[in-house]
Amino acid sequence: MTMPKSQVYPRGPARAEFNMTPLIDVTFLLIIFFMIISNFISEQSVEMIVPRLTESTARELESPRRVVVNVAPKPYNPGDRADEPLAWPSQAHWVEVDARRFDMSRLEEVTAVLDFAFKRAPRDGDGNSLLEVLLRADAALQYDQVAPVLTAIAGAGIDKVHMVSYLPGHGPNEQRTQP
Amino acid sequence: MNAASVPALPQATTHHRVRRAARTRPPLRMALNLTSMIDVIFLLLIFFVVTASFTLGEGIITAKLPQGTGTGQSSDPPSLPLNIIVSAAGQHAYRLELEGYAATPMDFRQLHDQLVAIQYDESRNRTTGTHKPDDPVVITPAGAVRWQHVVDVINAVVRARYTNFALTQAQ
Repeated sequence: MTMPKSQVYPRGPARAEFNMTPLIDVTFLLIIFFMIISNFISEQSVEMIVPRLTESTARELESPRRVVVNVAPKPYNPGDRADEPLAWPSQAHWVEVDARRFDMSRLEEVTAVLDFAFKRAPRDGDGNSLLEVLLRADAALQYDQVAPVLTAIAGAGIDKVHMVSYLPGHGPNEQRTQP
Repeated sequence: MNAASVPALPQATTHHRVRRAARTRPPLRMALNLTSMIDVIFLLLIFFVVTASFTLGEGIITAKLPQGTGTGQSSDPPSLPLNIIVSAAGQHAYRLELEGYAATPMDFRQLHDQLVAIQYDESRNRTTGTHKPDDPVVITPAGAVRWQHVVDVINAVVRARYTNFALTQAQ
């Protein structure tokens, strides 16, 4: 090499070299961090077996402005009910809205919460609230357990509700098929 | 343990001395550095745990709510609604009834077929029935009917392309 030697660094010019390892480490950690966070966001739901329909027309909901009303069954062991989801006490345990639990005897508070959310939500051109209400109720519940919750939702001025069921091919004892 | 059972030590031979000479060099250390491997395996483990989703896919079916606030002030039903009555039969079973029609559907597939048969929609070539797709359909479940079956009825109605249907209060 005929390169002139530096006065300051007699061993030659410093070689500009990137050490990629820490960069990859940190990037990997960030990726995992965001994945975990997004998983937490999508999985904060009450455990239950929602209805599985014959020749379902259920579709995925895209709307980000939604409130999920959960009507929870009595606690159960997930393995026990996989084959026979309806073999379970048909009484509702509690209602959960926005991570707040309400007793079945305090449904007027559900109405109040939904009314507040409904009024606060943005509106479309005609002045209708864009809030969507999703009703997640366990398949084993009796209709007279769910109907008061429907009435409570209607009491907040909401006349349409989306009922949650499994997407085709996604039941509890069904072979999992990726969409 | 007696002395006879102890295997005899090898005699110091020339060969043995050569081996000892070789050992005066610092021995080659055969230590595997596990740290980086554990790092990577840990990362892969976390990666797969995180990407595996244990939730079952859920979708939605949209329906109108029962009218009124449960205090008896319900709105009048529109003219000539098609009534679907669901009643409970035993613990887990259900019984379907299409009001005004003699044939009772045995399951939700038959209910769908019957709903299609009584529909009038030229664009879909359904001309055997009289109910237009936007005619009102009222679903009346009994109180003891499981939610599974209520949603199944709604699904059959939606699948038969009726657009205007509502649930009634539990009876």
